[in-house]
Amino acid sequence: MNLQYTTEQNLLRESAGKFLAARYDYPCYQRICAAEPGWSAQIWAEFAQLGWLGLPFSEDQGGSGGGAVEIAILMEAFGRSLVLEPYIATVLLGGGLVAALGSREQRDSLLGALIEGRMHLAFAHRDGAAAVKAERRGSNYVISGTKKAVIAAPSADPLLVSAALGEGAIGVVVLPKSARGLALRPYPMVHGARAADVELDDITVPASAMLGANEDAAASIERVIDGAIAALSADAVGAMAAMVAATVEYTRTRVQFGQPIAKFQALQHRMVDMKVREEEARASCLFATLSLDGPAAQRSRAVSGAKAKIGRCARSVHQAAIQLHGAIGTTNELSLGAYAKRLLAYETLFGTTREHLRRYAAIISDPDVSATGLLHDPAAAAVPGKEEWTST
Amino acid sequence: MDLHLNPKDLAFRGRIRAFLDENLSPETRRAASLTTGFIHDPEIAVVFHRALHRVGWSVPHWPVEHGGTGWTAVERYIFESECARAGAPIYNGAGSHMVGPVIMHFGTEEQKKKYLPRIVAGEDCWAQGYSEPGSGSDLASLRTRAVREGEHYVINGQKIWTTHAHKANRIFALVRTSTGGKKQEGISFLLMDMNLPGITVRPIIGNGGDHEFNEVFFDNVRAPVSGLVGEENKGWEVAKYLLEFERGGNPAAGRVRAQFTRVVNLIGAKCPGDPDIAARLGELGSDLDAMEMIELCALSASQAGVNPGPMSSLLKLRWSQLRQQIAELALDALGVDALRWIGERPLYETLRLPASEEELLAVTPRYLNFRAYTILGGTTEIQTGILARAMLGL
Repeated sequence: MNLQYTTEQNLLRESAGKFLAARYDYPCYQRICAAEPGWSAQIWAEFAQLGWLGLPFSEDQGGSGGGAVEIAILMEAFGRSLVLEPYIATVLLGGGLVAALGSREQRDSLLGALIEGRMHLAFAHRDGAAAVKAERRGSNYVISGTKKAVIAAPSADPLLVSAALGEGAIGVVVLPKSARGLALRPYPMVHGARAADVELDDITVPASAMLGANEDAAASIERVIDGAIAALSADAVGAMAAMVAATVEYTRTRVQFGQPIAKFQALQHRMVDMKVREEEARASCLFATLSLDGPAAQRSRAVSGAKAKIGRCARSVHQAAIQLHGAIGTTNELSLGAYAKRLLAYETLFGTTREHLRRYAAIISDPDVSATGLLHDPAAAAVPGKEEWTST
Repeated sequence: MDLHLNPKDLAFRGRIRAFLDENLSPETRRAASLTTGFIHDPEIAVVFHRALHRVGWSVPHWPVEHGGTGWTAVERYIFESECARAGAPIYNGAGSHMVGPVIMHFGTEEQKKKYLPRIVAGEDCWAQGYSEPGSGSDLASLRTRAVREGEHYVINGQKIWTTHAHKANRIFALVRTSTGGKKQEGISFLLMDMNLPGITVRPIIGNGGDHEFNEVFFDNVRAPVSGLVGEENKGWEVAKYLLEFERGGNPAAGRVRAQFTRVVNLIGAKCPGDPDIAARLGELGSDLDAMEMIELCALSASQAGVNPGPMSSLLKLRWSQLRQQIAELALDALGVDALRWIGERPLYETLRLPASEEELLAVTPRYLNFRAYTILGGTTEIQTGILARAMLGL
């Protein structure tokens, strides 16, 4: 066990913090959020130059081979600075699926452009694969169905769409925006992200549009989504940390009854509660992050547990932050409101707090699991039979 | 970063498990699991402590020169988790976790020689004489007087909430040796035998039916000056050092996890599928995972020589709350069965029922006794005040 950042990881944290402090302040966030497409091409190009778009990909795919910890470091910084650029949608979900499932040709044609910042991807998976059917007809597939709330879909091209292939198998189809029969209903989300409902009406694509061969993609999808949840959790931790710091700072300067309100014990205790939630959320996120490479059973326990825990922390922190700011906390005069909305989105994306709590509770109700601490035995991890927990 | 147990850790864990299989008897395990107070009775715990002592593991966290093991932080973590998982009792933390480290740090050579080996061997049972009727959270306001007369202190006053004073043969106490100046100045840290003339112990029975707390009265007690630890009137520094140990303490995750797993089993037997109970179980499980991770981070930091900061107060704060909430969930899972009451203690001597029924009778007393967790060793409110200063700079 070792839970200390390496020198390189500390450097990444510092450089990400410095870059965003200089280039992504609150007025910048407001400008980007107010105009279409809801992210900045200039910033995205700088992400590419910094190597962040290639961070999770192996070196032979043109990336820098960063792991889950590096991604979490970056995401926490993004959360702190309210970054709107669709990193999770494009790099972690889109790129992650292509890297996991794609053929050599698919990886070459998609990942290179993605890492250079020339291509955005989005993954349409909400409501599960069954919401879209892919029917084999000769050497083609015919794709039909609806996917809702596809984040980053308005800017992405192509879209990756999960689809039921029949006989319980799931595939991921690469659909160019120009495909005949594809319709988008775009809308902004509460936290500034752009999303769309996607209608697919009898779209015919060649079999080569399926990521990889015909193997069932379910396990890869689940792994990639778990990775995205861990990343989004780190983002939420960054947002919470920013809210806690802003609240402490505000109560130090706000004077009532002749003294800074930070002097009042009732407020101090409430702020300690906030800070404890932040620390618990950070720890929970780290557990999920460090469990991503493990077997599915460990991963699900850690990721669903983290989503359930951090979702609760996020709600209590954003509510307390608003309360302690008083009336100004309910306005959009401060960045506080943007953080509150970001945390609100966290609670729902990739499964609500309640859904993950149910999933986690079912996992932990097995006394063999609940009795097991967090340190992993790498060899015992491969016990067959326990993998079935994961699919929900 | 990783959460892996390496092959050396795994071999170590194997050794601990083999030892527990051989040395933790079913009787001791049962007695520990039917303990309804927050501390195990020394009578049952000392048996296991002596088995540990035979292999040199009775005070793993101590320096090797005084009988410790020299284990790494991870090894200690594994040891504590495995002991908890197996249901092993803990013997007299007031000796090995409180006064022992204090004697090592502040004590004279003579004191070290006299007391430390007996703690290692489980020959002494210590009580902590801190709180007084008028001095709880405001401990420094304590008034028990010690007046020097030649080679003795003459002590008059009263201590309260003295855990297991009726079982202890020795006590360490904070006494007032001077009344001038600030209240923190003029306190001394004194070791005494419990059999000195003038010491009387009056039991305080907890709401859960257990006799853990006591009042201890000092009526012209003549205690040898050789029991003074550190300098006269400098006892507050000693007390603060001890508090660090008390709050830092042992890795607690394994103990809380063992408590949690028992409740998982209880719920599986009594109300499987109850969605409200399941949701609370999920919340507590994810709280527990988060706190275990915080504890592991603090361990990793201390192993790397980095100061883990105010995390010991955070851990005390949250572990105590979690223990209570887990006990509370067990209570709620039982429904009307929670009202069955057996007043005699200890339950492991009173009960002669099938194991699954015995367990149920411990739930309500445990819930009631565990209310003390957020009060003893610095209340939740005191810890929160400490954290406001240490984590938020307020």
